[in-house]
Amino acid sequence: MRAESGVDERRAVREAQDGSAAAMAQLYSLHWRGAYRAAYLVVHDAAAAEDIAQDAFLAAVEALDRFDRRRPFRPWLHRIVVNRALDWARREALRRRVDGAESVFEPLPPPAEIGGEMIAALKELPAEQRAVVVLRHLLEYTPGEIARMLDLPRGTVNSRLRRGLDRLRETAEADTAMESRR
Amino acid sequence: MSGDGLNRALRDVPIPEQPGAEERGQRIVEAAYAERASGDRGGHSELRGAMPPTTSERRSRRPLPRLALGFSLAALLAVLLLSPAGAAVRDWVDDTFTASTPRPEPTLARVPGGGRLLVQTGEGPVVVQPDGSRRLLGDYEGATWSPRGLFVAAVKKRTLSALEPDGTLRWSITAAERVAVPRWSPSGERIAYRSGFDLRVIAGDGTEDRLLAGSTAAGTPPDARISPAYVPPAWSPTGEDALAYVTGAGRLRILDSETGAVLAAAPSLRRITWMDWGDGGRKILEASPGTLRLRPVWRAGHPSRPALGVAHRLPLPPGASVNDAALAPRSPLVAVSVTYWKRHGTYSEVLIFRPGKGPQTLLSVPGSLWQVEWSPDGKRLLVAWPGANQWLFLPLGRGKGRAIANISRAIAPSGRPTSFPQLEGWCCRR
Repeated sequence: MRAESGVDERRAVREAQDGSAAAMAQLYSLHWRGAYRAAYLVVHDAAAAEDIAQDAFLAAVEALDRFDRRRPFRPWLHRIVVNRALDWARREALRRRVDGAESVFEPLPPPAEIGGEMIAALKELPAEQRAVVVLRHLLEYTPGEIARMLDLPRGTVNSRLRRGLDRLRETAEADTAMESRR
Repeated sequence: MSGDGLNRALRDVPIPEQPGAEERGQRIVEAAYAERASGDRGGHSELRGAMPPTTSERRSRRPLPRLALGFSLAALLAVLLLSPAGAAVRDWVDDTFTASTPRPEPTLARVPGGGRLLVQTGEGPVVVQPDGSRRLLGDYEGATWSPRGLFVAAVKKRTLSALEPDGTLRWSITAAERVAVPRWSPSGERIAYRSGFDLRVIAGDGTEDRLLAGSTAAGTPPDARISPAYVPPAWSPTGEDALAYVTGAGRLRILDSETGAVLAAAPSLRRITWMDWGDGGRKILEASPGTLRLRPVWRAGHPSRPALGVAHRLPLPPGASVNDAALAPRSPLVAVSVTYWKRHGTYSEVLIFRPGKGPQTLLSVPGSLWQVEWSPDGKRLLVAWPGANQWLFLPLGRGKGRAIANISRAIAPSGRPTSFPQLEGWCCRR
């Protein structure tokens, strides 16, 4: 997914800053899907993911004039997406604790195809671990980049990543064992 | 699971997506980008709270800040005006009318412009007939007209009821949580309402009650006290099944009330307190204490669905605090009551916004004005003036305005007013 960014993206940012709606549309089409997917994999709620992705683009539009065009657009956008998704997940967890409710949204059902188990396993992780796993393995940032995006020490990123992957692996192995017993 | 395997899985696994999400986002981003050029930045989501509303908040059609203070002043003035000792004050209030405003009539002998009014009093909702006669519907906390005025939907605690205008009960349901802000669809087929923070919909005959959007307050911190989710939902006035509502996270959404699918979404106004969908379905008005915004709604796609356009701010005079605003049902006119809190005294105005023009002052009075309500034909306004205990019927074109005095006493079923009555609706177009 990293191949999306590059020269075209920089040109699009420059032209969008200069008032080209077509360039802004190009940036949107380059990054919406990745932003939505990243948000969904952190919050596991389609409506919230849509809001988060949309809000991230709106924040980008609002800050476009101040954006340093020498820097890449993609990590800047993803930083907003993942931080907002984390905020949402934390608020939702807090709300559940206070209200004692199971869920406030009616989430779309998880897909039944292969990979649905992985989504379910990811959902079981704490939001902070989910965010790090998504940034590392979906968006392919390095731990150093993730540390800067989430404003965390690099060691914290590494430990969250390791714990998250261990738990995903345990779930995958348990599922495999269950399958082989059938 | 290997790192590469996880990368592939995260990248390729199908994830749920609301239909049209990317397209909706694109329209909003394009609109925001176009707005950026004009310098009119839309309000972004502001996360606010999820404490259940109090009864008074639920009853309040527009729970705007300072309204409480306004009420206190209004109540004090009402007491003064209703007592014999208040005669001098009443004279002072009468003198504040402009030369073109008639002296108040002592009682409501007929509804100027015709139609029937639905009014919430301390004893319950009251129907005011065209000839001024009144009927108490029962001990309900709030009510709303059906589109042709054949029925009234009324709420009390966890109960939603449909009544005939003479108070006869047609059906009643009990919800899991406290019921509030029922809104009958223009087709008459559905009633949207809130139960707790859920947005629900029920058929007009009391069947098929179902959840439309789980907790409209979701996304707001539980310790906050105000949530945009208190904003009543608004049906598309064109008779289709689209319903606009505001989420707790400050998103304006339009839903297909049949399927629950999101048809359009955009950030709502910051600190939004009220929303109207009018102008024949072409505009949505968003109001907060300090800002008014009109957002065009157009039709897009095949089959066509509502889509939200760029919101434009209506320029309020400096120092104006919005009490209430209403978008005309079939024209782009916006009526607003504003109050100016000045050191030398408080005064209020009714402003009219026409497309492409600044505000035009229709009326200026001392104290606080409250609600503004369009007549069903959109030709006149009913303005509540609690401080003078009056309703003002103001024509938009030629013609004399009328002021009706002693409203609290006239509307109270027992004749013993406890508060100034609150307008719930003016029905119906002939």
